Amino acid sequence: MEIEINNLQHSFPGKPEREALAEINCQIKPGQFVAIVGPSGCGKSTFLRLIANLLEPSGGEILLDGKAPVEIAAQRRIAWMSQSPALLPWLTVGENVALAQRFRPQVSQPGLSAEEALRRVGLRDDLNAYPSMLSGGMQQRLALARILTMDADLWLMDEPFSALDELTRERLTIELLELWRPLQPTVLWVTHHIYEAIRLADRILVMSPAPGRLVGDIQVNLPYPRNEPAPAFQSLLLDLRAMLGQVSKQIAL
Amino acid sequence: MNNRHSEIAAWVMILVFLALWELGVRMLQIPPYLLPAPSVVLQTLIANPAVYARATFITVGEALTGLFLGVLAGAVLAAFLTLFPGLENGVMTLAILVKSTPLVAVAPLLTLWLGFGVLPKIIITGLLTFFPVLVNILSGLHQIDPALMDLFQSWRANRWDIFWHLRLPSALPYLFAALKISAPLALIGAVVAEWTGASGGLGKTMWMAYTNLNLPFLFAAILILAVIGAFLYRFLVWIEKRTVFWVQPLQE
Repeated sequence: MEIEINNLQHSFPGKPEREALAEINCQIKPGQFVAIVGPSGCGKSTFLRLIANLLEPSGGEILLDGKAPVEIAAQRRIAWMSQSPALLPWLTVGENVALAQRFRPQVSQPGLSAEEALRRVGLRDDLNAYPSMLSGGMQQRLALARILTMDADLWLMDEPFSALDELTRERLTIELLELWRPLQPTVLWVTHHIYEAIRLADRILVMSPAPGRLVGDIQVNLPYPRNEPAPAFQSLLLDLRAMLGQVSKQIAL
Repeated sequence: MNNRHSEIAAWVMILVFLALWELGVRMLQIPPYLLPAPSVVLQTLIANPAVYARATFITVGEALTGLFLGVLAGAVLAAFLTLFPGLENGVMTLAILVKSTPLVAVAPLLTLWLGFGVLPKIIITGLLTFFPVLVNILSGLHQIDPALMDLFQSWRANRWDIFWHLRLPSALPYLFAALKISAPLALIGAVVAEWTGASGGLGKTMWMAYTNLNLPFLFAAILILAVIGAFLYRFLVWIEKRTVFWVQPLQE
C-alpha cells in the first residue's frame, strides 16, 4: 500500500495542550518495510495510531493508496499489532485466529487459513491451548499468526516485541522477516532497537524528540541476511547512532 | 495447595465454636428461651422435618426467583446502557434512587398491597439484588483492556461485535462478583419480607417462634439459612472457576 503523509500534526488536548507531532511529510512505497526509530516519547506510537485510524489527526493528511485511513480501515486492509499481544483469554489459540478472520476483507480471495497461519508461526500443535498457557514469545507469535490470516496489505506494528526478553525478541524479529517476505505487505514498524531496524528494514525513519518530526531517512540497501560484523552494517549503525545522538542532544539543551 | 488445610481449619473452628457454645450454655445453665444449646437446636430441627422442609422450600424459592429476576434485569439494563450510552445518566439516577430507598421500609407496603403470598417477597428480593448486579456488570462492560479495544477498533468491528466478542466475556467475572454479593442479599430479602407478613417460609417460622419465645425453633431456622447461604456461595465459586477460568479469583 502506498502511503503519503502531508504536514501531519497532532496535539493531545489538555492544559497545557501537548504537541506530539510537529509536522511530518513522507512517502512510502508499496511493499516497503519501514522502521521508525527515535527517542522515547517522540510520538512514534502516535504517528502509527494516526495511520491506523485509532486517532484523528489535529492537522494535515494521511493518504493510503490515495484514500483516507478511515476508508482503508473500513476495507480492513490494515493489521495492527502492539506491545501487548492483545489476545482474548477466553478463546483458544485456534479461536483467537478464527475471530480475526471474521474481520478480514470479504472481497479478496480467502487469505491464509488459521491452520496455515499457525503453522508458519510454529503454533500448530497449540491449537487448543489457551493464551495463558503460552509464554510471552508464543503469545506474540499468536498475534503474528492473527496478522497473517487478516490478509491486510498494511501492517502497523508498535514495538511488537519490546516486552520480550532479549533472546526471544531477536528470534521473533528474524521470524517476522521470514513471515513478511512471501506476502510483501507494506510494514511500518516502530522500534527502539536500532540493530533490528537495520537487520530488517528497507528504510529507517528517524524521529526527533517531541514534538516529533522526521530528522532522518535512511535507505538500507543490504542483502539479507544482514550480519552485524559486515562493514556496511557497521557503517549504517554508526550513522544511525550519530543521528540519534544528535537528536538526543537536542533534549539536553 | 493450602486449600485443604484452610478447609480443615475452618471446620475445626466451627466445631470448637459449637462446643464452647454447648459447654457455656450447660455450665451457666442459660434457659433455652434466651439461648438454646446447639444440641437442642439440632434436636428441634430433626423433630420437625416436614415443617422446616416446607418453610425452606418457600423461602429459597422466593430468594432464588427474586435473585434470578434481579440479575436478569440488572444484566439486561447494563447491556442496554452500554449499547446506548446516551441513556446512562438518566437511568443510573433512577437506579440510585431505587437503591437509596430503604427496602425494609417498602416491604410492609408491598405486603399490604399484594398480600401474604410469595409475590411481594420476590419483588423485594429482586429489587435488593438488582442494583449490585447492574453496577458490577456495567463496570465490567466498560473496563476493557485498552490493547484489546485497539485491536477491535483496528478491525473496524461494529458495536455489536465489540459487545458480543469483547465486552460480554470481559464482564463475566464481574457478573460472578455481583452474584456473590447478591445471593446472600436474596436470602436476607426473602426473610425480611416474610417478617412483614407471610403465609409460610423460614422468615415466617422465625417470626412465629420469636413471638412465642420458642428460641430453639428460631435458631433452627437461622441454622438452615446459614447453611444454605454458605452452600450457595460455594456453589457460585464452583461455577465461577469453570466459567471464567481465565481469571484468577480473588481470595475472599
